[in-house]
Amino acid sequence: MALDKAQYKDREFLAVIGDEDSVTGILLAGVGHVTDPPDSQKNYLVVDQKTEDSTIEGAFEAFTTERKDIAIVLINQHIADRIRTKVDGFSAAFPSVLEIPSKDHPYDPEKDSVMKRVRKLFGE
Amino acid sequence: MSGKDREPVFPTRQALGIMKSKLKGAQVGHDLLKRKSEALTKRFREITKRIDDAKRKMGRVMQIAAFSLAEVTYAVGNNSIAYQITETARQAKFRVRTKQENVSGVFLPAFESFQVEGASEFGMTGLGKGGQQVQKCRETYTRAVETLVELASLQTAFVILDEVIKVVNRRVNAIEHVIIPRTENTIKYINSELDELDREEFFRLKKVKGVKEKVQAEEEAERQKKKKSSSDKENEEEAESKNVLGDEGDEDVIF
Amino acid sequence: MAEGMFYNATNGYVEGIVRGYRSALLTGQNYGNLTQCETIDDVKLQLGPAYGDYLASLPPNPSTSTLADKTLDKLVAEFRYIQANATGSLSKFMEYLTYAYMIDNVALLITGTLHERDTKELLERCHPLGWFETMPVLCVATNIEELYNSVLIETPLAPYFKGSISHHDLDELNIEIIRNTLYKNYLEDFHRFVNEEPGIKGTPTQTVMSEVLEFEADRRSINITINSFGTELSKQDRKKLYPNFGRLHPEGTLMLSRAEDVEGVRIAVDGVHDYRTMLDQTGMGGGGLGNQSGGIGGDEGKSLEDLFYQKEMEICKLAFTYQFTHAVVYAWVKLREQEIRNITWISECIAQNQKDRVNNFISVF
Repeated sequence: MALDKAQYKDREFLAVIGDEDSVTGILLAGVGHVTDPPDSQKNYLVVDQKTEDSTIEGAFEAFTTERKDIAIVLINQHIADRIRTKVDGFSAAFPSVLEIPSKDHPYDPEKDSVMKRVRKLFGE
Repeated sequence: MSGKDREPVFPTRQALGIMKSKLKGAQVGHDLLKRKSEALTKRFREITKRIDDAKRKMGRVMQIAAFSLAEVTYAVGNNSIAYQITETARQAKFRVRTKQENVSGVFLPAFESFQVEGASEFGMTGLGKGGQQVQKCRETYTRAVETLVELASLQTAFVILDEVIKVVNRRVNAIEHVIIPRTENTIKYINSELDELDREEFFRLKKVKGVKEKVQAEEEAERQKKKKSSSDKENEEEAESKNVLGDEGDEDVIF
Repeated sequence: MAEGMFYNATNGYVEGIVRGYRSALLTGQNYGNLTQCETIDDVKLQLGPAYGDYLASLPPNPSTSTLADKTLDKLVAEFRYIQANATGSLSKFMEYLTYAYMIDNVALLITGTLHERDTKELLERCHPLGWFETMPVLCVATNIEELYNSVLIETPLAPYFKGSISHHDLDELNIEIIRNTLYKNYLEDFHRFVNEEPGIKGTPTQTVMSEVLEFEADRRSINITINSFGTELSKQDRKKLYPNFGRLHPEGTLMLSRAEDVEGVRIAVDGVHDYRTMLDQTGMGGGGLGNQSGGIGGDEGKSLEDLFYQKEMEICKLAFTYQFTHAVVYAWVKLREQEIRNITWISECIAQNQKDRVNNFISVF
């Protein structure tokens, strides 16, 4: 079963949804990208307490389904929790959605949607 | 599987031949797919284990990275730097490319990170104060993101393998529980039909033989009859002659 | 000592208050207690006596940044109080103190305007000490030219823009260069102010502040040089960012401008004992930048930044040994900033469970 090459050959960016510190750090590594004007799409979203869940969902949607140039979506676990149904519902191979810990929220494998699948498969 | 389930074929010897080769093909295919599925599952388990480890490792790596950001905040003295960084991002320097790895005929993508040539956008961040920490933090985060990319590769492989294994297992099961029994059923059916035909043929032959025998018998009887009538005459003649010769036809004389 | 006779008449009250604030700064023992804390709540509790009401509104287990914001609030409130009571040259002196924060705010606003951000959000992020009246107006500007022509001119920072940065530069130059150019102009202006202002000239303020500002100038020069290695900043541009005074000026800065690596910096600062020992302590000479502190595993020696902070704190501490001087205000602000950084650091270490690094703060008293 060969994969359709067009599915991933243009995917070369990472996207981040996270709190300010996580986004800052990851952007510092040189991940940040803003597409050319006029649409100027960013590949990151800074989330704080004031950010609406719908905004997060919108960004998640945009990174996972609309944009075809993103290979990996990094999302803080505590933010993924806020849109858990959406994250759990996403099962495509591309882009790869990765839940990462944040400064204030250590990583909890119990909540990770992929880890859930792993455990389900091994019947634990 | 109900015994009635079979392929719509005419029970001919030719169809039987086709079915037999089909059954053989299905069995070979089943073995091969089963082996493939086993190989993939093995790989899958490996990957799952690695994901488990990598996720835990990620926890640590990200913690270290987050801490280096804390050092930056300490050195710079305020957190406006975060804003500056999120605002000055323009072109991604850190990108990934995807290559393929072949595992038992399945192409698994693997992400590979690479740096686009050119100076970093954040090279001058914290020029007057905290620059060294910023650069160090940048390195730490670059390493952290590399780990994340690795993990993402594993995870994608996981998702794809999961899918592929499901498909392969479905095929294995389909062959094992549908195609093979059905083909076997068909063969059984054809065989039974052929047997039936054989029996019918036998019976028919028997019948034909019976009829023939009957006809023969009739003919024989006819012939006999004819023969008899002619022989009667002869008999008469014979009788006469017999009588002449002897007295068998005569009743015993009771004295 | 004529100034001693009249200083108290005008500024005595403020000086008294500041000295009072100074004694309220956390001591080594307080820090010792803080480092023993297990949770942020404990930290909050330990800070109770010093910060009192300011921390009361915090939710249980606050994030380190909100904690830091609250501690900053206290500094700001106290600063405002002193500023309100300051008169004459002290009032002007305190304005100068706020300019440094204004530069950061302006840099922030320029970045925001360049990228068409929501300006209300920007204002929230500005440092409260660097607040100036016309700042909200900055946000009205939608493009750089407008920002430059109508708004920046109105700010107290206008003289620092004048002559060194045109509105084209705002668009093209890296924001860090703008920031550092402004800072250089500011330091030079401040230096001129403490040396020429009639109310300050010839007083201990001049002595102490000159030392402080010279140190600040040298620190910036050295930092800029080291941080510019490996970036696109050319040597000429780099030279423009060095303040034109300081203990390294002019020979040292000239050599700094020619330095190509850490070794070059070392040679440049060789003439000044303090800086030379600092560079030696960091072990930076041969090994390059790679082996500074703060790495993941090995933590040998402190980073240059840490040493600079330490030196700055020493100078500030010494400033309190002088009497009848505005410098105590400066020193107090810097000490409080360091304290806030220390608290942030300690709570960060506790929050992230990195207790082995927790003692990496600078305790002054």
